[in-house]
Amino acid sequence: MSSDVVDFTYDADGKAVFHDSCVTDLDQPTFDAEWQRRAFGLAVALSEFRHYEWTDFQQALIGEIGAWEKAPADARGRWEYYEHWVSALHEVVAGHGLLEEGYVNPEDRDEHDDHQPPAPTVPSTPTPRPS
Amino acid sequence: MSTPFSYPSDREEQSAAQVRALEALLIEKGVITHTTVDKVLGYFESEMTPLNGQKIVARAWVDPDFAALLATDAPAAVAQLDLPDGMAGAEGEHLAAVLNEPGVHNLVICTLCSCFPWPVLGLPPYWYKDPVFRARAAREPRAVLTELGVPLDDDTEVRVWDSSGHSRWFVVPERPAGTEGWTEDQLAALVTTESMIGVALADVPAPV
Repeated sequence: MSSDVVDFTYDADGKAVFHDSCVTDLDQPTFDAEWQRRAFGLAVALSEFRHYEWTDFQQALIGEIGAWEKAPADARGRWEYYEHWVSALHEVVAGHGLLEEGYVNPEDRDEHDDHQPPAPTVPSTPTPRPS
Repeated sequence: MSTPFSYPSDREEQSAAQVRALEALLIEKGVITHTTVDKVLGYFESEMTPLNGQKIVARAWVDPDFAALLATDAPAAVAQLDLPDGMAGAEGEHLAAVLNEPGVHNLVICTLCSCFPWPVLGLPPYWYKDPVFRARAAREPRAVLTELGVPLDDDTEVRVWDSSGHSRWFVVPERPAGTEGWTEDQLAALVTTESMIGVALADVPAPV
């Protein structure tokens, strides 16, 4: 990893400052804003309903975060984890053609149609089907 | 809230608008419905919580055979417990446990992104994804642990586990002294999320 280029904030003693929730079991925010929560839910939902493999999303996210960490400190925006999440989400949605004309939802695909991607091998969480 | 993560509001509004637009487009195209995201979020927020991890740790503390299986085949051990459906999916498929013991302290991080055993710990706290934590915990775990209130003896080995798509680690902290004869429910209450990441120890019992 490229830890040397992360622009830490330092305290008076010269120690890099952790997020201020990183000290207690109480009040640990998972999301700082509702759009982050929805972006999370959207990425998971599309994977759960087999529009793409979760590993595809993970690789996109790793790529986005890695690009930020490798960029010069003065050439990148302030760290915001869920901006990378949203970028990765757009990447997999585009890469799997979800918004293209003629896209067929996984549950509507003919399993014998060789032109469709194979069913995922990763076990899926039994979340409710879309109504 | 005031945090090191505050950033310009227009940037936040831009992100929010992007997410709204993408969800609306996916609904319009029939890829999802207007309830899909809420259903999935509801499932995660109600079923995939640290309560699952607390039950697993408490069982490991009272049942050495379970603890041994947990260390070698965590999914098989977890399957023995009465936990919500879906424990094998959604980042739980490669669940792996590491057990603290005298002289060994385990710490879990994800240096590449934010891999986390959602089914047993819930969604990761914000700081777990923070580049400062990710970088420093990998580089100087003993110093980080000291700052977070877990000073370790020099002869205690710190093992850092980097979660990935192949292994999603969680820590079984050491059982606190003074809990002999406690029920699993009583023990589970001592197990914090932080202790299962390795940035804290299990709570000590309150004086009677």
